[in-house]
Amino acid sequence: MKILKAGLQTLMMASAATMVALPIIVVCAAALNGGRSMLFPPQDPTLARFGEFFLTEPVWKNALMHSIFIAFASAAVAVLIAWPVAWWLWRYNSRWSKTMATITSMPFALPPIVFGVGLGFMWAFADLLGTIFAGIVSHALLLVALPVATISIGLQSIDKSHIDAAHTMGATEAVTLRTVILPLTLPYTVSGFFFTLILSFNEFIVMFFVSASAYSTVTLQIFNSLRNGFTPTMAVGAITFIAASILVFGLIARFGDLPGLMGADQARR
Amino acid sequence: MTTTVGVESSTTPPPGLAPPQRRLPLANTIFCVVVVSFCIIPFLLVIAISFGEKIEGAAWRWSFDHSNYLRFFVGADWPDTRTTLYIRRLWFSFYYAIIASVLAVATAFPFAYVMSRQSRRSQTLWLVFLLSAVSLSEVFVVMGWDILLSNRSGLPMVFKETGLTDWLKTSGWFEVLREWGLANPRNVRFKPTDFATIVTMSYLVWPYAVILLYPALARIDNSMLEAARTMGAPPLTVLRTVVLPSVRLPVIGTTLILFVFLLGSYVAITVFAHPSRQTLAVSVYDSVRGATMNAPFGAAQAIVLLITAVLVLLIVWMIGRRTEALQ
Repeated sequence: MKILKAGLQTLMMASAATMVALPIIVVCAAALNGGRSMLFPPQDPTLARFGEFFLTEPVWKNALMHSIFIAFASAAVAVLIAWPVAWWLWRYNSRWSKTMATITSMPFALPPIVFGVGLGFMWAFADLLGTIFAGIVSHALLLVALPVATISIGLQSIDKSHIDAAHTMGATEAVTLRTVILPLTLPYTVSGFFFTLILSFNEFIVMFFVSASAYSTVTLQIFNSLRNGFTPTMAVGAITFIAASILVFGLIARFGDLPGLMGADQARR
Repeated sequence: MTTTVGVESSTTPPPGLAPPQRRLPLANTIFCVVVVSFCIIPFLLVIAISFGEKIEGAAWRWSFDHSNYLRFFVGADWPDTRTTLYIRRLWFSFYYAIIASVLAVATAFPFAYVMSRQSRRSQTLWLVFLLSAVSLSEVFVVMGWDILLSNRSGLPMVFKETGLTDWLKTSGWFEVLREWGLANPRNVRFKPTDFATIVTMSYLVWPYAVILLYPALARIDNSMLEAARTMGAPPLTVLRTVVLPSVRLPVIGTTLILFVFLLGSYVAITVFAHPSRQTLAVSVYDSVRGATMNAPFGAAQAIVLLITAVLVLLIVWMIGRRTEALQ
């Protein structure tokens, strides 16, 4: 009975994992196609598409550079905005700090197409539509909810006795913040940074409205060519993005507390 | 703004810290004002422009008329004629999103439950896998399903090559599939169908469903389950009397969050849904940046979408409050 149950469970988990992996595997295989169409199994397998994506076709090379630059910059801006918001929320827990946290989570919680349309209008009035700067700030605003959440979890996980000890030894609030709180929450800050980075990397709706065709990121480039169908070169982009996600989340899991970040009870190990 | 800080502090503030100091209040205030305005101005602009007026060409001007909303709900020529085109699109937004989110939660639940009972290490590995899948851009997910469901490769080819199509034809099921729109005269087909749209949308949020259900399930105390079992409850009774009651509200909350998330999905709809069965998100895009170029009307449609999302999220919030009150 026990063995049967364990077997059934394993079977269910394995089939679910297969379902999740299936389209991803198919896309990866499609990148090997020799022709221009996405066939599975691939015809005349070749690695030439990788060369096109990373080296020879300027469209994709530029798009990848924009993707990487915007992802890193917007993640940095998002963390800088998120830190004070999360700090005030934890330190004061006042109605005002809660309002700040709610307002900064709005762009992420509501349909991105609405925020994207609004940002398009806003940057047009500011005469910044189509600038990389607008793209970076837009993604930072869209995703700032993520570092606010991870940093808040980090702050809550601090053992109060550390702060008591610092206070007893005469540390001021600023010193405590610098020498105790910042180092203890660093893994959570870094996790928030990389969550934002990966989501910015993959986002395209908001970017579509704020870039105004002046530049494009990889996902936006694919989105724009949607009407002409997918091509194997785009599948190389997919592989790149999947690899980046697995690398980043793997590192967060290795050096951070992934179950804790996802909200599991921290005491249960 | 900063002067009000710290007055109500009651629960979380760490005991060791000194009372709040009023240093740099100006810098703090500027920071807050800038961040809040950047988060809110886009929404306010959409609201304001939804009352605007389109002028010939691609431009528009400020105004205060509600003809855009009138056009949305009853059509531009009302009361002479009445069109429900945009109401239909709103309905399709609802229809795809609700079926896909319920499907995702129903299939993610057993997975999340088993996952939450595993060791911390395997939980972490699963989470890496799920996070990588969920962060994957909609364009890549649709790309994968496009290959899997298109007629030249993928499932229809598999059906044909394995003889499944012939078997369906002889057994009579083929006619049923044709009635459902899942087959053309020669073979099964999935593009464009509601089936393909819903499967892809459900796939989009499935890992997200596991991630959202996981904390609630991980917090169920193992000793409760063991107590129920020692008292002789069969597994299904344990599930029904211990597990489900404690996660009822999170399950509803998760479904609604996924629903709001799917209201905005765009690529899956344009690639898989029939042109006459497309959603409001697609139509917002068409109005603002696509063929029709009518920003005020696009903004009005976006506001309808926004109000729907806000109402649903308010329900989620109230569920969250109740869950907290129960604990």
